[in-house]
Amino acid sequence: MTAYSGQIAGRAGGRRHAWWRRIGAAGRLFRIELRRSAMLWMMPVAGALFWYNAFRESMAEPAMWNLRAMTMHHGVLLDFAPPVVGAAAWMGSREGRRHLTDLIGTVPRPRWTAQLVTWAAVTAWALVAYCCCVGVVYGLTARQASWGGPLWWPAVVGAAGIPALSAVGFAAGAWFPSRFTVPIATVGAFFALGFSAQPRAPQWQVSPTAAGSPYIGPDAGIGTFYHYLPDLSIAQVICMAGVTAAAIGAVGLLDRASGPWLRTLAYGMTAAGLAAVFVAAGLAGTARLDPHGMLAIPALHDAASDEPIKYTPVCDHAAVPICLNPAYAAYLPNVREAITPVLTELAGLPGLPKSVGQDPPAYGGPLNSSFVAGGAGVVVSEASPGGSQQFNLVLPDQLPAEPGGADITVRQFVGQIRLSVAADLINKVVGSAPGGESRAQHAVVTALTFDAGVTRVPRADAAVSAAASRFAALPAAVRHAWLAAHLTALRAGRITLAQLP
Amino acid sequence: MNIDITDVTRQFGRTRAVAGVSLRTGPGVFGLLGPNGAGKTTLLRMMATVISPSSGSMRLLDRDTGSHAARREIRRRLGYLPQSLGYYPGFTVAEFVEYFALLKEMPSKQVPGAVATAIERVELGGKAHAKLRTLSGGMLRRVGIAQAIVNEPELLLLDEPTAGLDPEQRVAFRSLLRELGARATVVVSTHLVEDVGAACSEVALMAAGKLVFHGTPEELTARGVGHAVGDAPLERGYSAVLAAARS
Repeated sequence: MTAYSGQIAGRAGGRRHAWWRRIGAAGRLFRIELRRSAMLWMMPVAGALFWYNAFRESMAEPAMWNLRAMTMHHGVLLDFAPPVVGAAAWMGSREGRRHLTDLIGTVPRPRWTAQLVTWAAVTAWALVAYCCCVGVVYGLTARQASWGGPLWWPAVVGAAGIPALSAVGFAAGAWFPSRFTVPIATVGAFFALGFSAQPRAPQWQVSPTAAGSPYIGPDAGIGTFYHYLPDLSIAQVICMAGVTAAAIGAVGLLDRASGPWLRTLAYGMTAAGLAAVFVAAGLAGTARLDPHGMLAIPALHDAASDEPIKYTPVCDHAAVPICLNPAYAAYLPNVREAITPVLTELAGLPGLPKSVGQDPPAYGGPLNSSFVAGGAGVVVSEASPGGSQQFNLVLPDQLPAEPGGADITVRQFVGQIRLSVAADLINKVVGSAPGGESRAQHAVVTALTFDAGVTRVPRADAAVSAAASRFAALPAAVRHAWLAAHLTALRAGRITLAQLP
Repeated sequence: MNIDITDVTRQFGRTRAVAGVSLRTGPGVFGLLGPNGAGKTTLLRMMATVISPSSGSMRLLDRDTGSHAARREIRRRLGYLPQSLGYYPGFTVAEFVEYFALLKEMPSKQVPGAVATAIERVELGGKAHAKLRTLSGGMLRRVGIAQAIVNEPELLLLDEPTAGLDPEQRVAFRSLLRELGARATVVVSTHLVEDVGAACSEVALMAAGKLVFHGTPEELTARGVGHAVGDAPLERGYSAVLAAARS
């Protein structure tokens, strides 16, 4: 080694040493800041708000990963915004409020890097609180859910939102170190987040509170039959990273005594952060509703996620077994209860399904209007190999115990399934005459539907109603024997109203 | 020379706080005297690199304060106690001093020892783990001194360091000043003339933003011979120089 190379190596080693020294010092600073961070005191507040809002709402949902995760995603940042923004604004304004700006201006460590350590401590505690809250919801769901695993993307969006919230609060405090900054920033962030959650232009879907399409929201069918699309979540994470970078960069702009490269970095971070926010909003603006209820962003979309999720259905062991997606296992008895009277009416008749399966709901409609859940509750028939028929049903989009304005009870849930299944299944078995449904077919369908326990029977004129009442009043065995003997003629439209017993 | 200031001015809007000050001094305790509004604090803030001069040149510790890299080097070797010390009430004494030791980029392995030494030197060893909000004004002042000296500065700037200290603490503080002045340049801005007489090897007097006297305490005392205002000889010298500057 020459004297020169030795000198260079020594210098490089010295630089490495200096970096380690800086990291060690930053670690010690971080430890002090962790001990004295206002966020430490705000953690119980964040926990209480989370419990009151997002936890109760998500745990009120059926024990399905998608429903719990998406409901939590929608509310968790709104719960965390007041304590995190407040604590961050308090810590950000600390130097100014405590008249330490002069003294800190005389130290060699750039003020910005010292502030970053303070911000990092606030963020670390906020993330700890967030992880605990998410952990509780996911832990309980893991114990209760019949199938599936945690949806990580909604949790990741929340985790990306926490640094963004704390950075915004911190920047507000650093720029305006007044005692009014904390309440103003806290209230402002809460309302801004709440405002962004309202469905407006598609670009607003980049709001971290948006769990999928704002017109659908958390829905049992989303992410159950097809993989949860991370497209919108990725855009939201980009947006949150942008907000964080811009806010942290803005804090750096305050440090006028810092060196040229730190100032350039601060300007660069602010500009890059803002650019990321606009890019993310632009991406969200191109989102379209896919048939499985999720938002697909063409630029971020991976076609591999369009594949259906493979699952082994859970079935009961009746003569006509009912098989459901295992995520809906808890609803198998309700579906059985809903369908049994219909199957009893049709037992032994040709055309009766050999089994009942489940189809995913189909979603449609433009993003900015109410959505259409195509075929919700409708029975679809499929000729399966071997000639036997399986009828697939689509369960109602609302499951019992869901919160919100349109809560349904188990009784209503059963009623909804029975209504749609009875009409479709009986229609399928009785069939339509070549020229359309005959009056006798109409009367039989009405009678069977009524006897299956459906209160809302198809509308009919007086003659059809009278015939239907007459037919419905027959003993079940008589009615069933007549149907077995005359079903072919009835299907062909050769039976008149008068010929009905 | 640790301090080499030439024709430095500092303007705040229309107000000229410092109007062409030139000063050169090496190691030792340097007293900066003057009435309220004389420009002492502004001069100290410039020396502390908090603000930059409007004009003139300033070299500290043989480095020009105009360049960022040099300012950073100066700051590593600097201790500063501002006139009104802010503090984080939730921090303990040790945490506060450690916080500043780390901000001064001291090697982290040396920090615990340096913090303990600084706290002991200001006689706050028994209060090291007390929260700052529980301390009296005099104790807080000593915490301020501890953070200023924790990095063994080559240039120590103290703005009204004895404000709020009781007589016993002031005596102890003067002896600390003398000890620090043996190795570093200590600039003490004060309007308590007896502090200067007891601890300073050199003294300057400012009035209306200008340096109106620069010499030893003995020379300042000599200026007061025959002057009626003041109880102590140094006070009489101080009053005589000020009266001459005003006239």
